[in-house]
Amino acid sequence: MDARLLPSLPLAFNPAVLFGVLLVAGMLGGEVARQLRLPRVIGYVLVGFGLAPLASALNIGPLLDEARFFVDIALGLVLFDLGRRMDLAWLKRDWTLAATSMGESLAASGLVFAALHLLGFPPLQAGIAAAIAMATSPAVVLLVAQDARAEGQVTERAFTLVALNSLVASVIVTMLTASVHYEVKLDLDTAVLHPLYLFAGSLALGGALAALARGIAGLVERSPELHFTLLAGFVVAAVGLAQAGKLSVILSLLAFGLFARNEGRGHDLLAVDLGRASRLFYVVLFVITGASLPLEALQAAGFGALALVLARTAGKFAGVLLFAPLGGLRLRQATGLAATLLPMSSLALLLQHDVARLYPSFGQDLTAVVLGAVIIMELTGPLAVQWGLRFAGESAPEAPRAPAGAVLER
Amino acid sequence: MPLDFKTSDPLTVGVELELMVLNTRDHDLTRGAPDLLARIAKAGLPSEVKPEITESMIEVNSTVHTRFDPLAAELAATRDGIVEAAGRLNLAVAGGGSHPFHKWSDRRIYPTERFLQVSALYGYLAKQFTVFGQHIHVGVASGDDAIYLTHRMARYIPHFIALSASSPFYQGEDTSFETSRLHAVSAFPLAGHLPEVGSWEEFNRYFDEMAGYGIVSSMKDFYWDIRPKPEYGTIEIRIGDTPLTVSQAAELAAYAQVLAADLLRNRDSEPIAPQYLVYGYNRFQACRFGFEAMLADPRAHTHIRLREDLLATLYRVQRIGDELGATSALRAIGDRADRGQNDARWLRERFSQSGHLADVVRLQAARWRDEPAATGTGAVPATAKLRAAK
Repeated sequence: MDARLLPSLPLAFNPAVLFGVLLVAGMLGGEVARQLRLPRVIGYVLVGFGLAPLASALNIGPLLDEARFFVDIALGLVLFDLGRRMDLAWLKRDWTLAATSMGESLAASGLVFAALHLLGFPPLQAGIAAAIAMATSPAVVLLVAQDARAEGQVTERAFTLVALNSLVASVIVTMLTASVHYEVKLDLDTAVLHPLYLFAGSLALGGALAALARGIAGLVERSPELHFTLLAGFVVAAVGLAQAGKLSVILSLLAFGLFARNEGRGHDLLAVDLGRASRLFYVVLFVITGASLPLEALQAAGFGALALVLARTAGKFAGVLLFAPLGGLRLRQATGLAATLLPMSSLALLLQHDVARLYPSFGQDLTAVVLGAVIIMELTGPLAVQWGLRFAGESAPEAPRAPAGAVLER
Repeated sequence: MPLDFKTSDPLTVGVELELMVLNTRDHDLTRGAPDLLARIAKAGLPSEVKPEITESMIEVNSTVHTRFDPLAAELAATRDGIVEAAGRLNLAVAGGGSHPFHKWSDRRIYPTERFLQVSALYGYLAKQFTVFGQHIHVGVASGDDAIYLTHRMARYIPHFIALSASSPFYQGEDTSFETSRLHAVSAFPLAGHLPEVGSWEEFNRYFDEMAGYGIVSSMKDFYWDIRPKPEYGTIEIRIGDTPLTVSQAAELAAYAQVLAADLLRNRDSEPIAPQYLVYGYNRFQACRFGFEAMLADPRAHTHIRLREDLLATLYRVQRIGDELGATSALRAIGDRADRGQNDARWLRERFSQSGHLADVVRLQAARWRDEPAATGTGAVPATAKLRAAK
């Protein structure tokens, strides 16, 4: 037989093998975590941490880079889902929700800025880190809430606040890149036009895709299966288009989700649940995130990362506890809500990545500080969400009650 | 220990309405009652609003009324208050006898002592009992009157079923019934109707015997379609689905009040047994076919169409209706019967236009809010027109 028909040894891995392996390994890690009553997300991330040395030993680092494709799809799904959950009409009906959002975003970023500035970081770097710190990881909150089968005001408000702080954080990071342009002495035109292009272009892309999806939805039967396929296809395409157009993936997908909501638009698109299919990508997202986090950053950043985490936590709690009770939330609920806003994960990395991609030389120390904070929050964030939802009384009871003595007590 | 029947002013009426608490994203039931009730408590609404068996339900209890108009006005004011509170929490509230597509196992028992006991005893029936009914209380002068009226009202149970029917969809499917809610009720071991006792004293003996067997401890353990309510001095008609609007709920209460007046004034001494022989059959007919049900008449040994029986009854009680200030309510009921238009039909029409049950619930919630777009036939989405043209 012709030897060319047989594989050469050692076998060459490809992204498909990697995806499958990461998926199953992540799932197993998640189940181990669940057995220990920890959020599954922690299991996924720890599997990633464990895989990192293995990956470098097997020299499959480049392959992991190729697998970023799956990460992008996962983030696209998260951001789209989050955009759909962002209910602007609710902000009008309950001003305290908007106030809580402003409060927690400003307090968290303000305190982070102050802390980093005190540690000697230049204002612009500290500002960018502060803007990144504003964002809560939507994937962690969505997954932990899903696993806890949480339902209620705290859960709903958490989704809206996360959507808003992700949106605001990415807008501010976009704007601050203008200052970066200026600092590295690019011409003023670029400093103004580039952020404008990012902002307007991303919104336009999201809007256009939502309109097109609506149009196609109108042509087919209104069945959840068809609409699911339609939206999944559009989300993946949206990620690719945003990347091809050098737009902000975050803004584009959030905008797509927001415009795909049904308010006053003929209710053409069904609010289908992307949950189970998204989970496949989320697992891989967290495993790869874990594998790609350089644990040595924690050492390099040291005190800076810890200061960022503490300042951010203080800010989130202060903002929420100040405003949420005005909307009728009990102190217990407000405390739980603040805790759900703590996770930092892939969204922070993506923002960080965006800044670093534009100017690789910009802020090595800053990178270490942000990565260090992400590493800390990658493990403590899911715990905070799990605790917060349980403390607020919104997680589903863990197991069905044992059958009682089956007779009414008198 | 004999149950004490507290007398009340005869022919006063009060209404209980069980309502759905929904999210505004896909209009599934959601765990919103605790927060909604906390907010409503601060609003000072005319009716009382209370928890129900699962955390996706609330119950409105009206005050006691003698006339239709003030009752309707109170329910409308309460509705407006609930809508306002729900809006701030990003929740929606709706009428209707059952949620068309919720998954019963997702429901959570409201953690009060009684509800937890019910859940422990009845298992999945408790969560399946996330169905939404209207209860109408009519005041009576004595326990004996309560027993008499409970028996004689049984003949009219099919009318209330057909008029209130608003649960044609269940677990995501069209059940082909006008109301599917009553099956959730029938599953309870003490469902059905009052046994053939002739007086309050006789009923007390029956109750003591049941209590002696360790089967019941209070009237709440009977899941009958109509039952005496000694604590309030009323009979409680529990057969109806919660209608999609508060005005229909008030109209049904007025019909019950007028019927009670007619039955108490023109007392009937014929034995009740034959009426109970056909009771289950007639109840099924009304659940399945609504106004088109064929009811067995044990006296005339014939069948009569429910619609005709209802219209004939309305004609008979018209004068009492005028006297009690229920003219407009009875006219509205007669008009609906004439056109064969009940909420079940409205819901099916919405479904055939939109093709999706989440949309039906959304419109149901809009109708409860009394939004103009949802009160009439509803706007037909462009896509539905397109498909209809194909």
